[in-house]
Amino acid sequence: MSEFLLPDGISLEAAGEALRQRLELARGGVRETDCTFYDTFDGLLHAEDLVLVGEAGRLSLVQPGAGVERAGIAMDAPTRPLLALELDPGPLRDALLPIVEVRALLPIAHVRSRVRALDVLDDQRKTVVRIRLEEPALISSGGRLTGLGPRLTLGLVRGYDKALTEVQDTLVRELGFMLADRRLVEEAVAAAGGVPGGHSSKIDVPLSVSERADAATAAVLRALLRVMQLTIEGMIADTDSEFLHDFRVAVRRSRAVQRELKRVFPPAQLARFREQFRWLQAITGEARDLDVYVLEFDQYRAMLPESLRGELDPLLGVLSRRRRSAHRTMVRALRSERAARLYAEWSDFLQGLEAAPVQDRPDATRPIGALAGERIGKVYRRMLKQGGAIDDSSPPEHYHELRKQGKELRYLLELFGAPLYPAEIVKPMVKSLKSLQDVLGRHQDREVQVATLQSLGEEVSALPGGAGALMAMGVLIQRLGEDERAARAEFAQNFAAFSSELQRRLVKQTFK
Amino acid sequence: MSRVLATYNVKGGVGKTSAAVNLAYLAARDRSSTLLWDLDPQGASTYLFRVKPKVRGGARKLVRLKTEVDDVIKGTDYEQLDLLPADFSYRHMDLALDSTKRPTSRLSKVIAPLRDEYEWIFLDCPPSISLVSESVFDAADALLVPIIPATLSSRTFEQLSKLVQGGPQVLAFFSMVDRRKKLHREVMEQLRGDSAGVLESTIPTSADVERMGVQRSAIAEFAPRSRAALAYQALWEEVQGRLNG
Repeated sequence: MSEFLLPDGISLEAAGEALRQRLELARGGVRETDCTFYDTFDGLLHAEDLVLVGEAGRLSLVQPGAGVERAGIAMDAPTRPLLALELDPGPLRDALLPIVEVRALLPIAHVRSRVRALDVLDDQRKTVVRIRLEEPALISSGGRLTGLGPRLTLGLVRGYDKALTEVQDTLVRELGFMLADRRLVEEAVAAAGGVPGGHSSKIDVPLSVSERADAATAAVLRALLRVMQLTIEGMIADTDSEFLHDFRVAVRRSRAVQRELKRVFPPAQLARFREQFRWLQAITGEARDLDVYVLEFDQYRAMLPESLRGELDPLLGVLSRRRRSAHRTMVRALRSERAARLYAEWSDFLQGLEAAPVQDRPDATRPIGALAGERIGKVYRRMLKQGGAIDDSSPPEHYHELRKQGKELRYLLELFGAPLYPAEIVKPMVKSLKSLQDVLGRHQDREVQVATLQSLGEEVSALPGGAGALMAMGVLIQRLGEDERAARAEFAQNFAAFSSELQRRLVKQTFK
Repeated sequence: MSRVLATYNVKGGVGKTSAAVNLAYLAARDRSSTLLWDLDPQGASTYLFRVKPKVRGGARKLVRLKTEVDDVIKGTDYEQLDLLPADFSYRHMDLALDSTKRPTSRLSKVIAPLRDEYEWIFLDCPPSISLVSESVFDAADALLVPIIPATLSSRTFEQLSKLVQGGPQVLAFFSMVDRRKKLHREVMEQLRGDSAGVLESTIPTSADVERMGVQRSAIAEFAPRSRAALAYQALWEEVQGRLNG
């Protein structure tokens, strides 16, 4: 930690003087500087104790805890969401990409500071610690300034860790500085009305086994609805592809809960909402599929011999155009009255669920622990049966059907299994299920991709460079087909682990 | 992946350290992360950056990769510029290298873990032809060779070019040039005519270069508009333009 709050009532100048009494300092002037902080919507940088800062024509990835810059480039502070992939190749892009991947970096706070920079010197008059004293203020969208706590930040000079510790001691013991419990970026984000650390799409609703099933179910579904509502703005603005992805996962999870725990709901209303959620999934499906094609395009290229890779460009053009059009259609639907009404009604419905009459909801008052366990056991056994019947000659639909059940089971395990059952049972089960789902997913994706490519052939061939593209697509279709068969070959092994004797016994003992 | 530039000449007192310090400073001022390794046991560039000439474990442990090179790097007063300091034990660097397997690739191995972190790595080499210089030739992408325009200098340059054939690119530049001297002008003209590896930029003899030792910083820091500062700026730009690949 290296951010400190100034002792109460002490100005920047007075703090500077107090430091000068104790430390050998180089003279530094006072300057005013604007900076913008960036992070992804879900706070991926914050989770790594990093922040991206745009200041004075430089964009730097900073580790505030250690007071050091990890990487940076000369670049004006971006005003739009920025993808790591769009950065020039270099250390900053290399440092960011593995952390944020496809997520856009969004401006999360603008801060204007009066800064006094002071260098602590050693007996050779060499800088051994950098001190930044600052009076920051949040710049709101209207340009209004809101004062934030004045603070002192220590910067490590590489190889001079001991000097840093000594200065820290002097600050705290002799001068009454206090370690800041929140970093400047966190304070600024909170003052701007945001959430420091961002919004996670992870569902983490604490449940107890004896809780009424309808109350527990409503709590989980409300959390899912919250994820959906949080992601809509980013989907409409097309900020990055994860917003849509998270939205669809939340919709699918909600639908799985609606299906698997259907007897906690009044049947007539449930039927209506299920219809509505099916619609939500349908209006977002094509946009997501095309997102994936565009995101994975480099992988497709890599499947081809080098000489053919460039030939695929017309296909990328077609896919990108379709993606934009699918996106527009989706946005219209998301902005519709129907969508707005759906969220409001669903929220009201969940709010009133526990108080609603129970005569047509036989599972409503049962304890959630037993009910969820029963469902998990049931879906697991269903998968054993379906998977056991699959062999090399089975049609693709059988794999697909098994995968759908796998998703159902995974959601039950994550949403209810995790908070209600021992982690040492749930975690390895989810892990083994994930490996199985990966294989099934690949199988299914390849199947669909081949069909899509075939359907696009005519459109692509009519374009300039279309003949070459068509040929490359032919090779790609062949490769995808090979990969589909490879996935098939891997299925047996993954299914064997998932359906092992031990796993069966554990499921039987744990989930009844 | 960083680019490694070594300032090298068999002879001493020709402006190697001055070039290494000033060019590394300019690279860092362009906000490129830069490292300077002071390989000379005299530790002149270490002194100029006010760092103590001390490397824990000394040359032997460093070239045997027993010291984490990361742990002995020191930040300088300039934010993007770090220093791997000199150590008195470097005077036995030859022996230390000789005791390893494949000694000539050793310095490359020492800096290998740093090549993702730094865009530029400068090696400030001691004057000699030895295992140290052979190891430097192996590690460097280019040699920056300061030449005083006097008799024999062309011979030095020829010998070096022959010696490193197939190795690093050789970029020579005239150093400590006094344009009032006829001999300097003649030698420069002749050598430029003979060889393509000689750069246009020249570094003049200058009191400012000598003042570096008093100021203990790069010329551009204490005399930014001086002739010498501008000369290093021009040299740095030309070097970047001339580097292969």
